[in-house]
Amino acid sequence: MASEAKLSHTSAIILQAIHAGFIYGFSIMEMTGLPSGTVYPAMRRLERDRLIRSHWERQSIADAEQRPPRKYYKLTSEGKSTLSASRRRYPLLERLIPFSEAKSV
Amino acid sequence: MSLSYSGFAWVQRELLTCASWLAPAAQRKEWKQEWLSELWHVAQARMPAGSGSWKAHEQITRFCLGAFHDALCLRTMSWRDKKPLVSWSGSPLQCLLLLCAALAVAYGISLLLPGVRAESRPSNYQVNPNLVLIQGARTPDDSKATIPIQQFRSWKERKQEYFDGFAFYRIAAEATSTSTSERTTLNVAHASSNLFALLGLAVRYDEPAVEAGSSTPAVILCDRIWKTEFGENPHIVGSLIEVGRRKARIAGIVPFGSWRLPGQVDLWLLEPDSEIPSGGLGYALAHLSRRGQSEVWTRRVHITEYEGDYVTGDLWGVSFDERTRGPGGIFLFTVLLALLCLPAVASVSMSESSFSSHRPTWAKRIRRWAFLCAKICLLLPIVYFSSLDLAYWHTPLYSAASQYMQLISSFTICLFGMRWVMLDQRQRCPVCLKRVTHPASVGLASRTFLAWNGTEMICTDGHTMLHVPALPTSWFSTQRWLYLDTSWRFLFVAPGVEGGA
Repeated sequence: MASEAKLSHTSAIILQAIHAGFIYGFSIMEMTGLPSGTVYPAMRRLERDRLIRSHWERQSIADAEQRPPRKYYKLTSEGKSTLSASRRRYPLLERLIPFSEAKSV
Repeated sequence: MSLSYSGFAWVQRELLTCASWLAPAAQRKEWKQEWLSELWHVAQARMPAGSGSWKAHEQITRFCLGAFHDALCLRTMSWRDKKPLVSWSGSPLQCLLLLCAALAVAYGISLLLPGVRAESRPSNYQVNPNLVLIQGARTPDDSKATIPIQQFRSWKERKQEYFDGFAFYRIAAEATSTSTSERTTLNVAHASSNLFALLGLAVRYDEPAVEAGSSTPAVILCDRIWKTEFGENPHIVGSLIEVGRRKARIAGIVPFGSWRLPGQVDLWLLEPDSEIPSGGLGYALAHLSRRGQSEVWTRRVHITEYEGDYVTGDLWGVSFDERTRGPGGIFLFTVLLALLCLPAVASVSMSESSFSSHRPTWAKRIRRWAFLCAKICLLLPIVYFSSLDLAYWHTPLYSAASQYMQLISSFTICLFGMRWVMLDQRQRCPVCLKRVTHPASVGLASRTFLAWNGTEMICTDGHTMLHVPALPTSWFSTQRWLYLDTSWRFLFVAPGVEGGA
């Protein structure tokens, strides 16, 4: 698949971070250590390539917690298969961001 | 909350606002909402108590600066997502817009050329009907003066059956005093006082008839002399100037481009025929009487001059039609000529054969014909204006050379323009009217009679494929269309678009 072959290391890390549960921009920044000017554009491209999709948090939840609503990101089925292929290409990816780490942020 | 905190917060929000203008308009609102939300969370994470260190502010500001990268990324993606330029290239709209642009350029240039402007006002140069220019039979060129004043006077004195009005003019270079008080040598036409009345030419700032008995002759200026020597002064009419050694009163100005009779004239000195100086040859004009009109129906008529029972001379009477018919006649003639010649330079057959049984709908066929008509409708004014532009590019006045130039250029542009229209039409996809592209040479010329040999072109939207034989044969004489079915569609789907064209 063309998108699998072209996925850069940064994009693969972001994809792995979202898969691990870091589902909004700032948390991905915190987890990966990448600057905002890298993380957000990469997420736009992933979303354009239909590897991730976004949705807005419900206003009622945000209101209950007295904060603005957030935009969350989620892997698509295509994104999951691309991530699997990327893990084969970058074997350390899973070790860099294990699935359980999301709970700590 | 400290002043510095609110100041930083304001700067950070404004940075996001500035960055939002880089994002595409359709996504701007949601994009800004996301970044403001993220900013709130970043601020909470970096300054949980509501005030933070400089380092925290610096980190938040750096976070906001990343928004510019993000907005630019969105902008770039939206540009790439737009329909590529190649889809515009070869489209019918592009073709029509280019023709419109060419027409605008040709028309714009024509507005700048005084010769074309004069041509576009036929009322200025139209003369009375049934006028003929009388020429000596030995001179085929009607631009040469052939009539002496004595001969003209003798015609006027005798009773005429075929003519009921005469006028004469003779051109001579004479020193003339103008407003600049210097004597300038101008081409002066010594003309019958009824010359302009006989022609029916309108004269600007026409002074009322000079009182009877006045010995001062009237002088009519041409537009060029009025502008160069008198500075376009409209009050010049009625003032006296010196023509040769005679005083003359300025009686009017002939509009630019009105004078189409033979000879380049700067001013016309209108005087009674008996006072026109002898010597040299001039031009005689005559108006056909009712009997004359019934006898003359050709452009050029032979006239025999009698004195008693003796023939004293052979003359030609030349109609004014050719000189005063304007550019429209030449244009229509060349269009007709070009249409007659078109089959020699391009195939005019619009019938199409097809490999498949598929036929475009009536609406699409009508659209295709409408497109052809639109191209022709735009081409014709382009031909008209561009040929006039070429004809009057160097000469501001009507002349035989400018007419000839218009004739040649109008015919050439029309012929090759029509050729282009036909060839372009034949290479337009019958479904979407886009030009077929990507020509591929197929087969070998040496195997023409054994296999297909020619060029294949394809519609970029995937509707049709055009097969043009390199050498027409009895089994493949004209181009053929192959209508592509849905099985071809996957080749033309744009990347990332589901179910594309």
